[in-house]
Amino acid sequence: MQLRNTTARWGSVAQFLHWLIVALILAQVALALSAEKLHGMAKLAMLARHKSVGITILMLAVVRVLWRLAGPTPPLPTTLKPYERLLAHFTHIALYVLIFAMPLSGWIMTSARGFPASWFNLFQLPDLVAKNRPLYEAMQETHEALAWTLGAVATLHLLAALKHHLVLKDDTLRRMLPFTKVP
Amino acid sequence: MIRPLRLARHFVLLLMLIGASTVSAAPAVYSIDAAKSALEFEFVQAGAKNKGRFPKLAVNFNFDAANLAAAHLDVVIDLPALDSGDKERDDTLRDADLFDVAKFPQAHFAATQIVKTAAGGYEAVGSFTLRGVVRPLRVPFTLRSATEQGASVLYMSGKTLIKRLDFGVGQGDWKSTEWVGPDVNITFTLRLVAAS
Repeated sequence: MQLRNTTARWGSVAQFLHWLIVALILAQVALALSAEKLHGMAKLAMLARHKSVGITILMLAVVRVLWRLAGPTPPLPTTLKPYERLLAHFTHIALYVLIFAMPLSGWIMTSARGFPASWFNLFQLPDLVAKNRPLYEAMQETHEALAWTLGAVATLHLLAALKHHLVLKDDTLRRMLPFTKVP
Repeated sequence: MIRPLRLARHFVLLLMLIGASTVSAAPAVYSIDAAKSALEFEFVQAGAKNKGRFPKLAVNFNFDAANLAAAHLDVVIDLPALDSGDKERDDTLRDADLFDVAKFPQAHFAATQIVKTAAGGYEAVGSFTLRGVVRPLRVPFTLRSATEQGASVLYMSGKTLIKRLDFGVGQGDWKSTEWVGPDVNITFTLRLVAAS
């Protein structure tokens, strides 16, 4: 299996980044939901982990976009109807935007609250904005709305992948999976 | 030969002189101008530096540069008034596991000795009481004196480090230093005005 993408399938770097970000986003949901139920030190710890993982996703998103721009990408299946192509492009662009917008809105949110964040207690992140309560409240709502949007778009993405695999029986999903053969 | 009367007169004059100089060198009592003073604390929370302040404090500083031996400093910090810039965090800090302000509403630094340091500043040597724990504490500071609108004014600034767990600030979960660091950096710039 090769590192770089080809016009037939995603290379192992793109696959690794895709699935790692999927796993981290699921972890983010779990961390955020459990933090909401906690208080005191436990809440502080859970939110600190959530922030660290979020910053990790942001860094991976940067790498992912650069990697994508640096090489070829397998094209959409030719069997798609025009509206399906449009929907696929919209979904992919939205997902790329969201893996930036989610961590950035969270980072602005914690800065505006006046709680500077760190990356796994190793180094402190700069504040993106000065302390600002109304901005914090606006960002909290934005962060939550973006999370629901991400949930909806990712579900669409997942359903489309399953349709390709199970109904259309093409290679769209397989070419993003490791250990699979794409003819 | 000196006549006894004359001697007595000299003696009285001498006493008066001593008396006069004692008055002018009498230790003045300084108290805080809260509006122009700041007592701040800095701590590490989840790997990032956070700041807060104690806006309410009472200072009693008996000071005379010429008579350091008589100098003493008393600082009482009102803990419920603490301000870390976030209401939720302030409430957590006031709780029983941290400052426990319901039981211990004040922190108290009582310095019975003011000494000069080699660096040209001063050091207040005394004890610090926080959350019912009394421990010795030395706080270095610098002084700048001025006369403002006829009043004698001292600008006192310095910093010190408190290990929060030495005073039990952190019970239960908060004993851990993983998410809230053990060190609390204290910095202060105080404007002290002599009582007229």
